[in-house]
Amino acid sequence: MRTNKLIIATAILMLGLLVVPVFFTSTFILHMFTLVFFYIALTAAWNIPAFGGKFSLGHAAFFGLGGYTAAILYVKCGISPYIGMFAGTFVAMLGGVILSFPLVRLKGPFFTLASIAFAEVLRMVAVDWRSLTNGSVGINIPFKPGWLNLTFTSGMPFYYIAMGLAIAVILLSWWIRSSSLGYHLRAAAADEDAAKALGINTAKSHFLGLMWSSGLTGLIGVLYVFYNYVLEPGSGFSMDRFSLQPAMNGIIGGMGTIWGPVIGAIIMTPLGEFLRFYLGTIQQGLNFVVYGLMLIAVVNFVPGGIVSLMEPWFKKKKSGDSSAADN
Amino acid sequence: MDDLLVVKDLTKNFGGLAAVSEVSFEVRRGEILGLIGPNGAGKTTLFNLISGLLASDRGTIKLEGEELAKKPPYKRSAMGVGRTFQVVRPFDMTVLENVMVPIFAHYKTSKEAKEKAFEILEMVRLDKLADKMPSNLTLAQRKRIEVARALATKPKLLLLDEVLAGLNPSEVAENLPLIRQVRDSGVTILFIEHLMDAMMAISERVLVMDQGALIACGTPDEVTSDQCVITAYLGEEAPEC
Repeated sequence: MRTNKLIIATAILMLGLLVVPVFFTSTFILHMFTLVFFYIALTAAWNIPAFGGKFSLGHAAFFGLGGYTAAILYVKCGISPYIGMFAGTFVAMLGGVILSFPLVRLKGPFFTLASIAFAEVLRMVAVDWRSLTNGSVGINIPFKPGWLNLTFTSGMPFYYIAMGLAIAVILLSWWIRSSSLGYHLRAAAADEDAAKALGINTAKSHFLGLMWSSGLTGLIGVLYVFYNYVLEPGSGFSMDRFSLQPAMNGIIGGMGTIWGPVIGAIIMTPLGEFLRFYLGTIQQGLNFVVYGLMLIAVVNFVPGGIVSLMEPWFKKKKSGDSSAADN
Repeated sequence: MDDLLVVKDLTKNFGGLAAVSEVSFEVRRGEILGLIGPNGAGKTTLFNLISGLLASDRGTIKLEGEELAKKPPYKRSAMGVGRTFQVVRPFDMTVLENVMVPIFAHYKTSKEAKEKAFEILEMVRLDKLADKMPSNLTLAQRKRIEVARALATKPKLLLLDEVLAGLNPSEVAENLPLIRQVRDSGVTILFIEHLMDAMMAISERVLVMDQGALIACGTPDEVTSDQCVITAYLGEEAPEC
């Protein structure tokens, strides 16, 4: 009964999302939806190492690596963005290999600091390696519409691309969480020593988690660059948009869960845009004050994130079911 | 009886403090070997050295003739060393999932892992609580999760670190037979315990540690009448040790 209802609800939601571009032709609304989808994907990818308790504030590194790889290949070498997707994913994973050294050696905040440094160093490289990246001028994706160039005259194709991406990353993270890797990561998050003593190669689990996360983030970076046309170090390796924002969505929604990142991205993305538009124009930075207050409030009053507020509701259902089974 | 584990001259220093110094002993296959000693004697450090969470400074640890000392913890687990922890910290997932975690090393699919985990839960009588979160269980039940989890690694040697501490007498009476039952299923047991009655009741031999050194080894009766042991516990002036 309940699963049936759930399936019907999901089906209605999916249908609704599919027809959104038909009814809302406003570019702003389409852009907002697309952005939410991108952030759902980004946060869900960021969340994979968080299954293992690893808190990264450097995912802009993978995002930028993916984006720059595809953009350079396309603009400078004329290589198709579809090949660029693979290349971007691969290069982002190479970045993941580098970050895995501190990942398996450093605990808690020390890994987080290393991840920040990693992303910032890459940003500086992108600024200074002018022959490759055009430095601070950045790279522009030429406007040559067509599926072959992944460039479009309307926002509709990217709405669907981003939606597919979000769904794919959610499904992937769900699959990872319920696979042996997911159990091993969650065990390592709860008690690293106990996990080791139970025969888990925790270093390997953390490494694999970061590989998934970095590769997916790189792929998202590639698609985002083609959605956005412009790529420069400050935006590609943007600390607050691609390192802090996914982490914040994760904390506010519920880190280490499946739906936490989704809820976080759905709430924070429109709110962020709204705040930046209204408060940011009154006084620059005022929007971040509201962000900060929200973060403090959530961490203080709902440490498990918004998803934990919904937990009693799920539990009620479950215990109701089991007592029925007992009778 | 052959020896399952042979420890020789095992030493671990923390700075200037010898937490474990030159400890040598063997664990015979199929026995229940007790390990006692005052607080700070180095018992848990010894467990950490055997299970690999700490690297030893000197000495050898051989399981069935194979050297463990340089191997990482997960490899030692695969070779047959299982352990529980003094402070129970179950993973934040259901009881069944807790036991499934180590089983994934042997079975690749969730379904197989689930079936195997359920068998182990039946053995420790937690099968009815399989879907509960550990935080809703009593301490005695959570200690049984620890044992179940360790058993799920299919150990040859199981190191139990105070699985009875903090339990009330009726809970002790409930958990105590479990240790014997595990041994009877073919697992050799080395266990740390402060509850003397329980220790004396089920162990065939007892090791006594004090200040990092092994000071006595023998049957429970021999050990309790040993002058060095009495000194270590009561602090009397001993004639000579």
